[in-house]
Amino acid sequence: MATLDELMQLPGAMAAFEFRGSGELLEQRIAYPERINESTLDLLAHMCAANMSIATMQARGWEKVTHMKGFYPIQEFTLVGFDWSVVVSGLDRERFKDRGKASLPPFTGVVLANEKADYEAAFATMEKPEPAP
Amino acid sequence: MSIVTDLLTKPGVIAAGEYAYRGDRFSYRGALSEEHARMASIMCRATTMGANMEGRMLEVFQPRNGLFPPRGWVVHGPDYTVCVMANVFCMLDNASGSINNTINFMAQALAKASPDLI
Repeated sequence: MATLDELMQLPGAMAAFEFRGSGELLEQRIAYPERINESTLDLLAHMCAANMSIATMQARGWEKVTHMKGFYPIQEFTLVGFDWSVVVSGLDRERFKDRGKASLPPFTGVVLANEKADYEAAFATMEKPEPAP
Repeated sequence: MSIVTDLLTKPGVIAAGEYAYRGDRFSYRGALSEEHARMASIMCRATTMGANMEGRMLEVFQPRNGLFPPRGWVVHGPDYTVCVMANVFCMLDNASGSINNTINFMAQALAKASPDLI
């Protein structure tokens, strides 16, 4: 699982955050507090939780109806805004589910400035496997 | 060439299409049946409308935040990625396509698209 500090090392990172599946913000790092604050991140986390759920439902339905595989489970959802993008990942939760664990880790997210955003690097950082215990 | 035709020439793109924001029309090219393309258009339009509603709410809460107006969204699955900008959607095979290149191409090609969803 990528730490918030690792996500803040991504090009253009403005904020990184963790949130529950129900959307509550748990922890955050903010590079530019005058541009993005904790209250905004809290609303953004709720939006991201909703979008992950909807995208997961759509991917599940799409695979059932079309018999095309490879869309589910959703690994990341990205919202591309005018100047910023937000990338959120639930892959770690899927790994916990695969191991039969009932208690799941939080979602992670990162806000990136579009002009520097490297989406593939953000995905790779978020998908990094946990170090062996 | 249209953006849909251009997208289909990009590595890894298996299908691409456009939908009307009002929901009454769609067109597509690539490896989808007509009915599946219709379903993809409806899902992409619904998510785009939702993302715009969320962006407006965030803008009211914190004016001049960089997420408004939303330009698009991306869903990254284990083998396939769906990229949507404005009213254009694209399905990408992760193994042979570049998500960065696809997003950047769509963002540039649709830079002048109206944010009014009309």
